[in-house]
Formats: sequence, C-alpha cells, structure tokens
Amino acid sequence: MADVVIESLTCRYGDVTAVDNLTLTIADGEFVTLLGPSGCGKSTTLAALAGLDVPQGGRLSVGGEIFFDAASGRNLHPEQRNCGLVFQSYALWPHMTVQANCEFPLKLRKVGAEERRERVKEALELVEMERFADRYPHQLSGGQQQRVALARTLVYRPRVLLLDEPLSNLDARLRERSRVWLSQVTRQVGLTTVYVTHDQSEALALSDRIAVMNQGRVSQLGTPQEIYDHPADPFVADFIGSSNFLEARVAEAGTGGRVVVELPDGERLAALTGKAFAKGEPVLVALRPERLGISDSPPAGSGGNVLKGRLTGRSYLGARTLYLVDVGGRPLRVESHRSIAGPDVWVEVPESTCVLFPKEGAGAA
Amino acid sequence: MRTVEAARASVRARWPDRGAVVQWAVAAFTVALVLTPIVPVVLQSLMGRALYDGIGSFTARNYAGLVTSRTVLEAVGNSLVFGVLTTVIALVIGGGAAIAIGRTDMPGAKLFGELLLWPLYLSQLVMAFGFSIMYGPSGYVTLAAQAALGGHTPWSLYTLLGMAVVAAICEAPVTFLYCLNATRMADASLENAARVSGAGPLATLWHVTVPLMRPALVYSAMLNFTLALELLSVPLVFGSPVGIHFLSTFLYDEGIGASTPNYGLVGAAAVALLAIVTLLVWLQGRLLTNIGRFITVRGKATRPGRFPLGWLRWPVAALFALYAVFGVLAPLTGLALRGVTSFLTPLVPLWEVWTTQHLRMIVSSESYVRSVVNSVAISLFGGALATALVALVAIVTQRSPFRHARALEFVALYPRAVPGLVVGLGFLWAMIVFPPLGVLHNTIAILVIAFTMRYLPTGLGAVSPALLQVSPELDRAARVSGADWWTTSWAVSLRLLKPALFSAFALLFICFFKDYATAVFLFAPGSEVIGTTLLTFWIQGDTGPVAALAMVQVLLTFVFVYGVRFAFGVRVYG
Repeated sequence: MADVVIESLTCRYGDVTAVDNLTLTIADGEFVTLLGPSGCGKSTTLAALAGLDVPQGGRLSVGGEIFFDAASGRNLHPEQRNCGLVFQSYALWPHMTVQANCEFPLKLRKVGAEERRERVKEALELVEMERFADRYPHQLSGGQQQRVALARTLVYRPRVLLLDEPLSNLDARLRERSRVWLSQVTRQVGLTTVYVTHDQSEALALSDRIAVMNQGRVSQLGTPQEIYDHPADPFVADFIGSSNFLEARVAEAGTGGRVVVELPDGERLAALTGKAFAKGEPVLVALRPERLGISDSPPAGSGGNVLKGRLTGRSYLGARTLYLVDVGGRPLRVESHRSIAGPDVWVEVPESTCVLFPKEGAGAA
Repeated sequence: MRTVEAARASVRARWPDRGAVVQWAVAAFTVALVLTPIVPVVLQSLMGRALYDGIGSFTARNYAGLVTSRTVLEAVGNSLVFGVLTTVIALVIGGGAAIAIGRTDMPGAKLFGELLLWPLYLSQLVMAFGFSIMYGPSGYVTLAAQAALGGHTPWSLYTLLGMAVVAAICEAPVTFLYCLNATRMADASLENAARVSGAGPLATLWHVTVPLMRPALVYSAMLNFTLALELLSVPLVFGSPVGIHFLSTFLYDEGIGASTPNYGLVGAAAVALLAIVTLLVWLQGRLLTNIGRFITVRGKATRPGRFPLGWLRWPVAALFALYAVFGVLAPLTGLALRGVTSFLTPLVPLWEVWTTQHLRMIVSSESYVRSVVNSVAISLFGGALATALVALVAIVTQRSPFRHARALEFVALYPRAVPGLVVGLGFLWAMIVFPPLGVLHNTIAILVIAFTMRYLPTGLGAVSPALLQVSPELDRAARVSGADWWTTSWAVSLRLLKPALFSAFALLFICFFKDYATAVFLFAPGSEVIGTTLLTFWIQGDTGPVAALAMVQVLLTFVFVYGVRFAFGVRVYG
C-alpha cells in the first residue's frame, strides 16, 4: 500500500504562501495530476512530497509512514523517502553513462552487481532505451533523455512516482507521442503517481483524477470528465478549455435543475444546473467555445437558446475556425468546423453547456 | 519487493548527520584559518608591549602614535599618490589594450594579448628586479640612452611616477582581463544598431563600445588601487634606497629590519592598512552588484565583430610592439642576461663578461636549491590541499542546507581584504599567541597555511561560477534517488566540478609559486621560498645570483603555465 496522504500542507517563501493548507488523499496505484498555472503551488507540493522543500505546516505520509509532520517536527530527508522523481530538466548526471545513471540509485541501496545489471536492463527495456546504455546524456535527444530519466527512477522501485512537467521540454509532436507512451508505462508499473503539469490536455489524457490548483489551494478535485463537464468555479472553467463568461441575473429559478437567466440586454438563456439559485441572483454563465454552434441563418425550429450577433473576427486553426462574435456588446468565442461568412450570425447555446456560477463579490456590490 | 525494503532500511540506518559534520568541520576550519592571523594583529595594535611578553592591558596609544607619526603620515601620503598614479596608468594601458586587442583588426593582436598577460604570471618582485637592471640609474637601457643622448638621463624610476609606471605594467593585465571580458559579454546588436543608424566604426567604438566598458573600468580601477596600496616589491626596490617610504615598506622595515621594533605601532599600521583595504573591497563588492545591472547576457551569444582600423592598423600595432618589447620583454631579457654576465652594461660586449658563476652558485648553494625545492613543493602540495579546501567551502556555501552558509561565504572571501604582508605578520604573531601553533615555526607548513588563507578567495573565484553552472536539479535528483548530502556532493557535484577544480589548482599553484610578501615574515633557514631568497640576496646586493634565480622561477612558471594549457587545456588566466 502506498497511498499518499497530504494533510493541511502549508509552504511559505518569505511572505508568499505557495501552498495554503492543502489536503489531498491519493489512493494506492492511482494517477493524480496537480494541474494549474505557474505559481499555483503544484511544483512546491511535489517538492515537499519528495523532501526537497521543508513545509511550514501540515503532515505528509505515504503508505502509513510519516514523511513530514510539523506538529512533531518529524522530517525525513529526501534520501530516506524512497520516492521517484522525474525532473522537468531530466537532471541526468552528465558525467555518467545511461547505465551508470541507472545503477547509481541501486549502488546506494547496496544492490549486488549482478542484480544491478539485471534491473537496469529491465528498466531500460521498459522505456525502450536498452540500446543506449553506453551513451552519455549529451549524446541523447530530449525524448530519449526523458525516457532514461524515467528508467533511472523506476529502477529502484520507488513507493510513489513523482513527475514534474516531464513532457514540457519536448516539441509538440514528440510531446503527444510521449504522452501515450507515458500513460502505458505508468499503467504497466502500477505505481501511485503524482503528476505536475500546466498543460490541461496532458492532465485530461493521463489522469485518474485531477486536482486543479489555484493560488496554493485545490479548486477542484475530480475525474477528467467531471472537471471538464462540471467545473466547480469560474477559475476551473476558464483554465480547462478557456470558457466564455457572460454576466447575467437569474430570471426563473425553475425546477428540475433548469434555470433561466437574463443577460443585460434582455436576451434569455436556459441552463441545466445541479445547483440551486435564487431568483434575481447575479450569476456568471460559462460557455465553452467548442460546444457552441454557429450558423449564417437562424437555426430552424430548434427551440433552444439562440443568440444573435455580429462576426468581428476569425482565426483559422486548421481543423476548426475560431470565430469572434459580438453579442450585445460582449465578445464571444466560438469554435466550429463550419465555414461562416457573416456578418450576421446566430450562436446556438445548448442548455447542457451553460454552466452557472454565483457571481463573486455580488453581495458586496 | 523485499530487497527494496531491506535496502531502504540500509539507507535509513546511515548516520543522518554525516553531512552536518562535514559542514560544521569545514566552517570551523575556515573560520579558524581566516581569524588566526587577524586576531593577533588587532590584539597587538591595542597593546603597549610586545605580544610575546604576554597579553597586557589595552591602550589606544598606538593609534594615537599612528596619526601623529610623521613617518607614518608621509608613508600613507606616498601610498595614496602611488596608488592613484598606478591606477590611472594601468587603466590606460589595460583598457586601451582590451579594445585594441579584443575588438579591432590590429595585426598580431593574439600575440600582444599573450605578452601583455605575462606580468600576471610572474612575481612582481621579479618584474621590479628586471626593471631595475634595465632602467635603473646604471641600467642597461639607461646607459644606452645616456650614450645616445650625451649623458642626459631621460627617466628615473626612483620617483613616485617612475614606480607607478613599473607597478602599472605589473597590474595592467588585471584591467585588461576585466575589460576584455566586458567587451566579450557586450551584445553585438547594440553596436550593429549604431552602425545601422549611420555611425562609422570609430564613432561606434567611441560612443557605444567604450561607454559599455565603463563598469569594468571602474571595477578594475578599485582593484588596481587596492593592489597598489599593498604592493611591497616596487616600493622596496625603488623607494627605499632614496628614502621614499610607503605603508607596505613601513610594515616590512619595522617588522623585520628594525632592531627594536615598535610592535604596537606596526600592529596599528597593519590594522589601518587592513581597514583601508576592507573598505575598498567592500566598495568593489557594491560596484560589482551594480555592474550586474548593466550586463545583459543573451541566450544566444552573438560575438561582436572586429572594428577595422584602416591605415591606423600598423601604427597601433607598432605602439603595442613597443610596449611588449620595452615593458615586458626587456625586463625579462635583462634578468636573463644579468644572470649569465659578471656585469651588464652596453659599454662592454656581452661575450667579454659572459659567466656561469651565478648559475653555478645557485646550483651549489644550499639555500638557493632549497628555496626552489620548497617553492615547488609548496605550490604543488599546498596548492592541491588549498584546492581541496576551496572545493569543500564552495559546496558547503553553495550546495548545502548549512544554516550559516552565507556567513561562511563572507568569512571565506574576507582574505581578499587582507594584504599579504599582514597575513604574514599575523601568522608570525599567531605562533606566539597560540602556543600549539608554535610547532609550525620554521616549517613550510606555516607557509602552506598562510598561502591557503590568503588565496582562498582566489580559488573560490575560479570555482564558484562553475558551480553555479551545475544545475541544482542534478543534486536534487541524487538526493531523491537515495544519496545523502555527502554522497551527492562526492558523486555528483564535485565530479562535475573537476575541470573548474583543475583551473583553481593551476591558479593557486601560480599564486603560491610567485608569492613573496606573505612569506617574508614567516620563512626561516630551511623554509625559504624563491621569493624570500630573491629579496634577501637582492638587499645584500647579489644582483647576479638573484637574476639567475629569478630566471629559474620565470622558466618554471612558463613551463607550468604553458604545460597545463597544452596538456590539459587549462588556462591560468583569461
């Protein structure tokens, strides 16, 4: 059992609180991604787990063993934790060959020469790098270095695997391939894995669960599907899939989770939501650009939400086109594979894609 | 998985504080090393009687004596004037050379750049002797010039200006190196922008390149001034015979020569020199942090191009050729010739005065041979030990969780502010104040210790930038994989630092080999080094053997400098 339990973790650098009272439990064998913009505290959390940063408060334990406990002052050194960490820069020791890099952790564990060779071979085979055992890191490409870094980490069978943006130094195509490969390898070894990234597509593709982090806290914890379909707050909705936001007011509280909101220009939108709203309450409506429809003519007899607007700009993305539409003075981004001429356009807003959030600070205003 | 659990246990079982032991030991040793010479000097400056009479009551009388003594005040005045003159001349030579050699298409730039650096490899004592032999009142060149000009002597080195010229030639390489680095770091696009805006090459040079060098010039000015203040050789060789005294010669004369030295006054003068140099070094540090704001290092290095000098190429090259011949090669040639002649004058042909007696004398004289052997041993083994200390201090200050790392770094760099003479005096008195150190008396061990203290910052200067280049993630990766701090340092950081440690060793070897100022108070029969032997016999007037021994030192230096460059690709400077 190597479940990771993070309780009330707090990390400060001077006046800056990088991680703020973070609590998170990761089950044995689970792949959890810490996702967020730079400075959200995700890498700090990972460093605290590895023992490279000493937190100011909270408790960390893995498989029941306490790594860090502010209350009792217990803090294991990084070398005592048996974690595996793959660095963003790979951090392969440049003066050692691939073989020596992988052997080093085993030597530290006093593993005999024969078993060492065996296990290094096994690990390199796993990442398909066995042919490069005698090379030095500088003789390898970025993608190959990344594989070796993973092998070096897996070779000593750590209790948890920590990955710090391991794909961010690769070019776009290689990144996509490595994503698939990394997913296969981690499933194969079945280690509890904590993955840190700012790339939402990596997080969605790899994770069992995602913890979206913002300003040192977890904004939302859930499966990729939950996060994408039911963002917990405007930050998550914006960070994952970069939603449009419209200000509105609740017109009909309705029943069965159906709420009708009114935009400032009087247009009305119906939304399906699990949350309860009071009539007259100011809200934010989040709309995902790729879930909106767009057409040159009024859609016939759909009966759903339709907003009329003017096309103000377009950006050809290849598979799709991003349209900028002005709806009652507010810009709206719509992604579609259709070719639209404009200038008058109609935007279809399916009820299920409208996500409502109570407008923050509305009480004060 | 059982093997892994067992292995984990073995990792855990290791004494967790091995790293802390190393860190504290390095810190304690460094602090002791740096304080050992400073404490006795400060103590002595506050006491009415000599330290070896025991610690008496404290008094401020020595400092009062310092500011009322005509000799001391005159010495301070001379030191300051000498410092300013030396600095100005060294800046003109070094800065001009950096532009001409580093940035123009002057013919022979590479050769001149190499020759200009030579004084840096050599002892300033040797350079001073060389100048004396060639340009002194009965020097070879002086006499030749007199013959040509009908008895008139166009120069005198026995003046403040004359000494400043000699000192400036010795120190110009420092300015040259700093400015050369600055011009190399310069962003080529700044100059290209000026060219595109319509500035000609010379206008660009004058309006863009030179102003960009300003921070480097200011910094090397501070450095040159500091070096001039603590310089002993030139003032001793040219000032003492005509009664021009300096702070450094005052310390030397009172500390060694006087039959009943005024220890309190010497202590106070040493502390005064220490205080002035500390202030200057602090100012340098301030300047350096400010310089950082002007330097913009681009990811992609675009090497600035060379300015075409046009018809000026040859006159400028001729100027540097004259400098190289008369400023660098002539003094060395003078030494070489003096070493193989019974006396050196343009009036008698060389073959008539040719002799091997000086060479034979240094080979047969025990103290000459011993000083060469000692110098080589101190530089090789002492240099290696000092390099080991430098490596440890560097990893503890930069790569350890040691709580007092910043303080340790400050202490380790402080010897920059301690002139060699004060280091020597301090260790001499330390052997009296701390009796256990007395066993080192008259051994070369005390020289190794004193040199290590004095040149610790020099070694760190060669290693620290290299360590900054080693990504801390490599350390962190080792820690996470199961290595404790010491294993990480040993197996990763220090391994990656190997080339830099090699350079540091080469640099320390040269520093130890050419040192004379630190050693003058510490050597005894049996523990002579080349520098002290040269000084002793020069004062006795044995110019011939001194010249021969100086050439031995010069040749050994060149063998080492060019040997490590060709064999290992290690550049001692530049």
